[in-house]
Amino acid sequence: MQNNRKEHLYKILVIGDLGVGKTSIIKRYVHQTYSTNYRATIGVDFALKVLNWDSETVRLQLWDIAGQERFGNMTRVYYREAMGAFIVFDVTRPTTFEAVSKWKEDLDSKLTLSNGQSIATVLLANKCDQKRDFLTNNSLKMDQYCKENGFVGWFETSARENININEAANFLVKHIIASENDILKSVVPDTISPQLNSDKEMTCSYWLSLD
Amino acid sequence: QEYESRVGPATEPPSHPQPTRRKNLEFEPLSTTALILEDRPAYLPAKSEEESQRHRQEYSEMVAGAKRREMKEAQKKKLSHPYMRNTRRVRELWWQGVPPSVRGKVWSLAIGNELNITPELYEIFLSRAKEKWRSFSETSSVNENEDCGVSLADRESSLDLIKLDISRTFPSLYIFQKGGPYHDILHSVLGAYTCYRPDVGYVQGMSFIAAVLILNLEEADAFIAFANLLNKPCQMAFFRVDHDLMLKYFAAFEVFFEENLPKLFQHFQNNSLTPDFYLIDWIFTLYSKSLPLDVACRVWDVFCRDGEEALFRTGLGILRLYQDVLLQMDFIHSAQFLSRLPENTPAHALFSCIANTQMISNNRRWNQVFSALMKDGLKETDKSSSSSSSNSPALRS
Repeated sequence: MQNNRKEHLYKILVIGDLGVGKTSIIKRYVHQTYSTNYRATIGVDFALKVLNWDSETVRLQLWDIAGQERFGNMTRVYYREAMGAFIVFDVTRPTTFEAVSKWKEDLDSKLTLSNGQSIATVLLANKCDQKRDFLTNNSLKMDQYCKENGFVGWFETSARENININEAANFLVKHIIASENDILKSVVPDTISPQLNSDKEMTCSYWLSLD
Repeated sequence: QEYESRVGPATEPPSHPQPTRRKNLEFEPLSTTALILEDRPAYLPAKSEEESQRHRQEYSEMVAGAKRREMKEAQKKKLSHPYMRNTRRVRELWWQGVPPSVRGKVWSLAIGNELNITPELYEIFLSRAKEKWRSFSETSSVNENEDCGVSLADRESSLDLIKLDISRTFPSLYIFQKGGPYHDILHSVLGAYTCYRPDVGYVQGMSFIAAVLILNLEEADAFIAFANLLNKPCQMAFFRVDHDLMLKYFAAFEVFFEENLPKLFQHFQNNSLTPDFYLIDWIFTLYSKSLPLDVACRVWDVFCRDGEEALFRTGLGILRLYQDVLLQMDFIHSAQFLSRLPENTPAHALFSCIANTQMISNNRRWNQVFSALMKDGLKETDKSSSSSSSNSPALRS
């Protein structure tokens, strides 16, 4: 009997420009594999991952969304009810980083939670195996960028070399859970919960408790 | 005995076929007859009676198969005549699959060349594309000046984008990837198209369509078929990402979905699994990504015969084929299943499911259902009709 084993279901979007490695990151994370042979994603693709999180079960739905900007109108429907997002860029192609703020704005404009907050979003600087000096040159700038653009954090990742993929996912899940607890507290009446750093806390209005 | 040793010692020249020997067959594949050893050479133990009978049977089956193919090919050559296309016999042959040797030709003729594109015109657009790539690579950073008047479509047509997708087009075939034999051709066809239609530009999915055409046609003919194919109303709606119009196609699809597979339709409704989760990939790539390539080519055959209706009918055929599994799945598993169909989808089972799909609803055919939906849409709001018909996607994003 798992009566009090709480189960969370989180929908996570993986977005970013065409060819930055969204599918590769997901395949690495979910299937522990890497291939140079992935086909371009048209529309949307899906992957599932189950995590044991303390005494709870976390089910992740990863939504791998086609990267071409032109599809923006069409992919709006895919954003619904997402609780977290990765925005991915390719460190070897500066234009994909320039597009990051557009992806973030697009996400925030299409998806706002009941309290007007945007969902927890982590920035991934992918293909870091191909440009090893990226971190040393940009670390501070990236911290600043995340602050200014409303990312909860950023990671340098490589799907090929399996660098930081699990770390980034755990980080995102942690933020989703924290914000979920936050919103739970705030809906319980007569409970005063001072909102420290409230602009940094992301909240989420969807959660599931199953037996 | 009728089937005595036909081929003597190995020294006998194979250039003397003896066509009189197989009287029971009206058809002789001349090139191979003399090479076939029906009985073992004398220095080996003879075949048993059952074995030689089985071999005789297999052989006549092979010959009959070859004959059927030959006849089919001869027939296909006549398909181009507009008055031949609709005869029952031709439609039937077409349904069974166009032989690969004439497939490209049949597709070209069926798609037509409404746009009157000539190979010379292709060369002109290709050289323009090449010029553009040169200047892009000289300035190295493609997107720097995007805010200074370079349109979205223009930016998206950049070398980078096409290049990225080419390497991800049928990667398992290893022929479109860098260094592969068709890499440059695919690059050229897509590049030339973005110069021919800068208002459409390069859109994901196009690389798959162009690749399938290139596998079946010469470069310039592939381009002509590609441009004309994309110019068809359904393809234009999708590749211009005209969302309102796409939703009309989805709505028409759902009318026939409910008609043909009411149980699965209800199941999808309950799970909020709308066609945009699976039809987008299927329509944008004309099934070339989701079905095995040979099966996809047969879908294209039918598409060339029946037009856009065939695409949606195929979708319903896929849903029918996998109905039992899908009924057991929740939203996310169904969506995942449909976005990555089993790799071994069998052609015969799929095509019998497609054949069992009736494209008639309340006595209305696909075109009637679709145009009724279009009219409803026009009545609904002025806003949606104007945005669906006139705006270019570049202005709307």
